[in-house]
Amino acid sequence: MKKVDFHIHTIPSVRDSAFIFSMESLKSYVSERSLDAIAITNHDLFDLTQFTQITGELEISVFPGIEINMQSGHLLIIDDVGRLDDFQNKADKIRAIIKTVEDSITFDKLTEIYGDLGEYLIIPHYQKKPPVSGDELNALLPYISAGEVDSPRKFVRMWNDVNQPTPVLFSDIRIKENLTKFSSRSTYIDCGELSVNKVKECLKDKNKVCLSPNDGNKLFEALPNGQMLSTGLNVVLGGRSTGKTVTLENIAKQMYDPLHIEQFDLVQKEEELDKRLFEEAVTRDKSHVEEIHLFPFKEVVDRVLGIDLAANDKDVSDYITTLMKSASESALRDSFANTAIFEETTFPIDPDETLEKLIRSTQQLIENVDYKKFIEKYIDRLHLKNLACELIEERWRQEDQIKRKNEVNSLIEEIKQALDLKSAVAPISPVDLYGISLDKVRIDRFSAIVNQLKKEEIVHDEKIQDFRVVAKRAPFSGAQELRDKLARQASFSAAYKVYGNPYLFLQELKSISSLPNTEIYRYFVKIDYKTLNNDGADVSGGERSEFRLLQKIKRATIHDILLIDEPESGFDNIFLKTSVNQIIKDISKSVPVVIVTHNNTIGASIGANYVLHTTKEYQDGKAVFKIFSGYPTDTYLTSIDGSSIENYSSTINALEAGVDAYKARNEFYENIKN
Amino acid sequence: MKILKIEDNNGHFCIEGEEFVSIDKLDKDNLLKLVELTLSNEIEMDDYDSEILKNEAHRIIYRNVHKKLQELAARKDEFFDKSEREFYEIYENYKNS
Repeated sequence: MKKVDFHIHTIPSVRDSAFIFSMESLKSYVSERSLDAIAITNHDLFDLTQFTQITGELEISVFPGIEINMQSGHLLIIDDVGRLDDFQNKADKIRAIIKTVEDSITFDKLTEIYGDLGEYLIIPHYQKKPPVSGDELNALLPYISAGEVDSPRKFVRMWNDVNQPTPVLFSDIRIKENLTKFSSRSTYIDCGELSVNKVKECLKDKNKVCLSPNDGNKLFEALPNGQMLSTGLNVVLGGRSTGKTVTLENIAKQMYDPLHIEQFDLVQKEEELDKRLFEEAVTRDKSHVEEIHLFPFKEVVDRVLGIDLAANDKDVSDYITTLMKSASESALRDSFANTAIFEETTFPIDPDETLEKLIRSTQQLIENVDYKKFIEKYIDRLHLKNLACELIEERWRQEDQIKRKNEVNSLIEEIKQALDLKSAVAPISPVDLYGISLDKVRIDRFSAIVNQLKKEEIVHDEKIQDFRVVAKRAPFSGAQELRDKLARQASFSAAYKVYGNPYLFLQELKSISSLPNTEIYRYFVKIDYKTLNNDGADVSGGERSEFRLLQKIKRATIHDILLIDEPESGFDNIFLKTSVNQIIKDISKSVPVVIVTHNNTIGASIGANYVLHTTKEYQDGKAVFKIFSGYPTDTYLTSIDGSSIENYSSTINALEAGVDAYKARNEFYENIKN
Repeated sequence: MKILKIEDNNGHFCIEGEEFVSIDKLDKDNLLKLVELTLSNEIEMDDYDSEILKNEAHRIIYRNVHKKLQELAARKDEFFDKSEREFYEIYENYKNS
């Protein structure tokens, strides 16, 4: 088995942040990672001088390569060392085209520069950002030897899928000065001789490509020192302060997208805060409940927002006063006041919204595809089209009429004004009695609706896991609640005083400058959310932790790895055994899972694929941390340095506080039983 | 078709062949009919003449109505152009299928 990393950067390009290459770092990287072959693949360039230096310094195979920015994603092209000048010339042509991050190479340009792509090792970003995709990928497919992924999870998934090309996992590392944190990503290939052709041949057979030297894809290298983990479920055991948490953190650093649930993340810290956070988490996406529920009411508010009853009253009063005055002055009426137009009112202009809705509905009946067969069963399409045309004609007729009436209205206004100026009789103040009556009816209706809304009612009842989230509509109980809702500086005291009169309350809300008119409808009633458990009772602290855990890990399968540090801190053993263990086990079928625990319900019952024991020893007065690992059934667990410990005794020590305690506990249970 | 005339020093209007009526009797419904006549027919009107029109109320009404109808007669086309109207494309589509 050869361990290879064919994706290494040694020169910064327009796509990288600046770094200075270090030969020492490269040598340490190759040596610590025990690599058998590497490829130098800088973005859109190749530097023969540096490449020659590197090959001179390293004793392993080094391939010349380039990572090209295609239109859709990145593509690795790797060649043999036999024609370096030619490779340099071609790379220069790429470099001449790609000067900024926006520039890219088309497939046609690529073949124009490189000729027969079959002569190279071609590896696109496949399940790794940015992936080569679409037509570009289709064009490249005949030449592709493997597809690059960015995590063991994707590697395993792609490896198992017969329709996918062979996966490869590489570091994509920048070799810079003082580099101490190496990547653990590399791929093992079963390849005798290391040449482009041999590697290509090898990559054609998935069975010759894997994540570990001896265990196929069951294990992968999780840490740069070669520490293996299972691609399934791993359990980390060990005493206090033996580096369990640090190990998890180090593993997380090696992944692009880990889901790391840290220790005590799930435990209740402060009850009130915890309760609030829980309610927030549960109701986070629930604001749409309020929006959906109150949306029809928004339309009601919009309709009455502009109504000013006081101004209407004044109009009526002005009208009556001027009417009475005009009646008393009838003897004085002159030729101006005696014209018909002197007291004429304008045409009310009221576009018919119903007609527009009717046209749109008819259009929908004609154009709906999903329910066409039902519609056509009862209504002839031609009739519908004729109906739509007639309705549209009627609409246009009404529009014409409105246009004409507008012309007439403006003319009436002009003439009346001119007559008013000449007449000794005071004009009668205009009033739209119909409109005013309508306003009154609208406000009455609006008030009735608001009073109806103020009656408490459950408006939403949703089941989330084992809980019910219930949304209840209720009236506000004070100005403070209104202020809390706005969450901005504003006083609601005056408004709340008239909360019982919806119209006056609306006027007060309108006068609050920091409350936009479009939001006013949300301030008539509140929507309270409450989370209840299965029995309809309030949720306990433990139940909240369970909810959080299940919420956190339910989307774990989209991450590269799931790391959980001591989940037992928040739960009882029954919940761990009945829910947590099963869920984690299921997740580990598609994503590597690492779980740190002291708890025997997890440690011993979960059915791990791989176990790790962390230890702390003192050597020459200095603490030395070690990880011993192996399969659960192994008699001995081994460390990277070759030392080993007994699996049984260290497991029973970690989970049961030693053999004696374990025996004593068994006796205790036996006694109770008897 | 004559719709506005000056006779006996007074202004008169006429709605489609009916008798001419004194312009001080003109109300909004009559005005709307005059607008419709102007837009759908070739109309004739006596020019406004403040010398002949002795009654000042008649002068005010006649002048304004005459001016407005003249202006509308000139803008006739814009009242009949349907292509800019809402639903025009749907209408054309349904009418021709």
